[in-house]
Amino acid sequence: MIEIRQLAKRFSIENPKKLSESEKKDPRMKGRFFHSVQNVSFQCGKGEVLGLLGPNGAGKTTTLRMLSTALQPDSGHILINGTDVVSNPVIARRKIGFLSGTTGLYGRLTGRENIAYFGQLHGMSNVDIANKIDTLSELLDLDTFLDRRCENFSTGMKQKTSIARAVIHNPDVVILDEPTTGLDIMATQTVLNFVRSLKDAGTPVIFSTHHLDEVAELCDRVTVIDKGETKFDDSISAFRGLASGSLHDSFLTCLSQEHAAHHSVASERG
Amino acid sequence: MWMVFKKEMLELLRDRKTLFFMIALPIIIFPALAGVVGYFSSKAIQQAESKTLYYHIVGEQYAPELVQALETSAYFSRSEKVTSDNFHAEIRAGNVDFVLEIPDNYSNNILESGQITLKMYLNDAGLNLVETRLKSIVDKHTARLRETAFAAVNLSDAQQQAVLQPIVLTKVDVADKRENWGEKIGGLIPYLIFILCLQGAMYPAADIGAGEKERGTLETLLISPIERHKLVMGKFFTIATAGVMAALTTISSIALWGTVLSQGLAIAFVSEFMASIGAIDFFLMFLMLVPVVAIFAAVLLSLSIYARSYKEAQSYSGALVFVVIFPIILAMLPGVELKGVWAWVPLTNVSLAIKELIKGTMDYYQLVGILASTALIAGGLIVFCVRWFNRETVLFR
Repeated sequence: MIEIRQLAKRFSIENPKKLSESEKKDPRMKGRFFHSVQNVSFQCGKGEVLGLLGPNGAGKTTTLRMLSTALQPDSGHILINGTDVVSNPVIARRKIGFLSGTTGLYGRLTGRENIAYFGQLHGMSNVDIANKIDTLSELLDLDTFLDRRCENFSTGMKQKTSIARAVIHNPDVVILDEPTTGLDIMATQTVLNFVRSLKDAGTPVIFSTHHLDEVAELCDRVTVIDKGETKFDDSISAFRGLASGSLHDSFLTCLSQEHAAHHSVASERG
Repeated sequence: MWMVFKKEMLELLRDRKTLFFMIALPIIIFPALAGVVGYFSSKAIQQAESKTLYYHIVGEQYAPELVQALETSAYFSRSEKVTSDNFHAEIRAGNVDFVLEIPDNYSNNILESGQITLKMYLNDAGLNLVETRLKSIVDKHTARLRETAFAAVNLSDAQQQAVLQPIVLTKVDVADKRENWGEKIGGLIPYLIFILCLQGAMYPAADIGAGEKERGTLETLLISPIERHKLVMGKFFTIATAGVMAALTTISSIALWGTVLSQGLAIAFVSEFMASIGAIDFFLMFLMLVPVVAIFAAVLLSLSIYARSYKEAQSYSGALVFVVIFPIILAMLPGVELKGVWAWVPLTNVSLAIKELIKGTMDYYQLVGILASTALIAGGLIVFCVRWFNRETVLFR
């Protein structure tokens, strides 16, 4: 179970003159600070998959980076199984498996060495690492390229290896930032199947995406973030109920009807 | 920490570019280039030495003995191609190598004729042996003319000697050979070592700081549960090791090839010079290099992690080379000694101390201060580097 409450993060602007017109008009720009994330709250329970949606620049990646402890939130709480991890990022790092949207691999190491390195950093024994890699290799179809150097991997091979690396330490929560972007249909399916296997094992999964069909296929809950605030946070069926048409309509309704969304969040908290 | 170090080293050693710059370049390519240059220059000298020089003489009738000597010499041959008095054009056209002009006052009695000036026309821009060979012939004649003159005025051998050189200045050097040579080459050695260390450390530094940012591996590394200072130290030691290795490889390569190529005298001199320095001084030089390398590694890592890309990191470290060269050049300036203010200028003091150690005139108490201050700076920079690695504005620029 992971719970995020009223998370906020601002960045100072080094050179205000460099900002574009649209950036200056963003309501989150206040004085010398850009309030990227102002008030984001959501939760994801055991065996649940949460889809994080929002337009580009909404604050999704910043939110996920705060969850991963790469960034320190200015205010708010992150609770994993009831423990607040904001003040103790090292505990959070052990509990969270995070795949960043811009992740890469060490090109001169093999896939196996890449995964094992992070296992070692997590303090795992060599035997445990080897066993876990075998399991993951089966789940993610890695065995054909696992012992080759990563510099020649295709996008799909890289992404699968990165996912294996992110979950090598059996995390309590898995967070994936746009895990299927740029993948072909087969690789996408492998990734989605892997998310499903995590769900079956009872691990909460949070993933951000722009593909609503993936949301429809996998998610139990949906959170929509826009301009640094949670606009919607409820079950997939409630999300479907926002509009009569497709999930796309629901998403657009959610962005335009700010009041309705606020109401939804308020009732959730209440 | 050693986990990070091990992985970084593994990655470094698998990189062909690094291996090329660290090993192939100093061990094979530089000596090979030096060999090629040496081969061609020795060949050119040999050619010049064995070449016959063609001459033309003006005023032949005034000095038949000199002309006779030229004619019998195997190194000279009279040119038959000279047709005009325009010696410039004749020499440029390659009709003759040099033209010798003998004045009409040439005689065997210099007491009457006065000083004789021989004029030689030649193209002196290229490698040539005209002057050397002519001088060997002319000198014999000079000696004979002198003897005749001295005999005419009735001077004894001792008087002759005194007239030729009324006052002689003799030098008694109180500096031994080591100090003498240490002063001459002692400034160059720290320069060489520092630059090599820096060069060797630059590439891995750019790779494991900015390179990680560029490849997107940094974020993943930062959210692994390893403490930040261990991460920094692992990377720091990798850079420092690479720097030291690069310097050691190059220096041993120079020493090895120098020993192989140089023969006879040079070898005896070098080994004698090295033997006079002693193991303790070598150890102290190495000991002083440790904090210096630490300074380089910490600065390079800080610059590299600040840079957005590999390229940016490389231009920063390129600029650093100039910053480092400056204090070393200061140490090479005459008059700059390990005294007063200079003992406290970082890098300059270490280069001066290395020079003193090579010369064998080190005041060992100074060493404590230098070592302590350099280590302090290095420690401060490492702490800064760890702090730097904790700043979001640096990591996510």
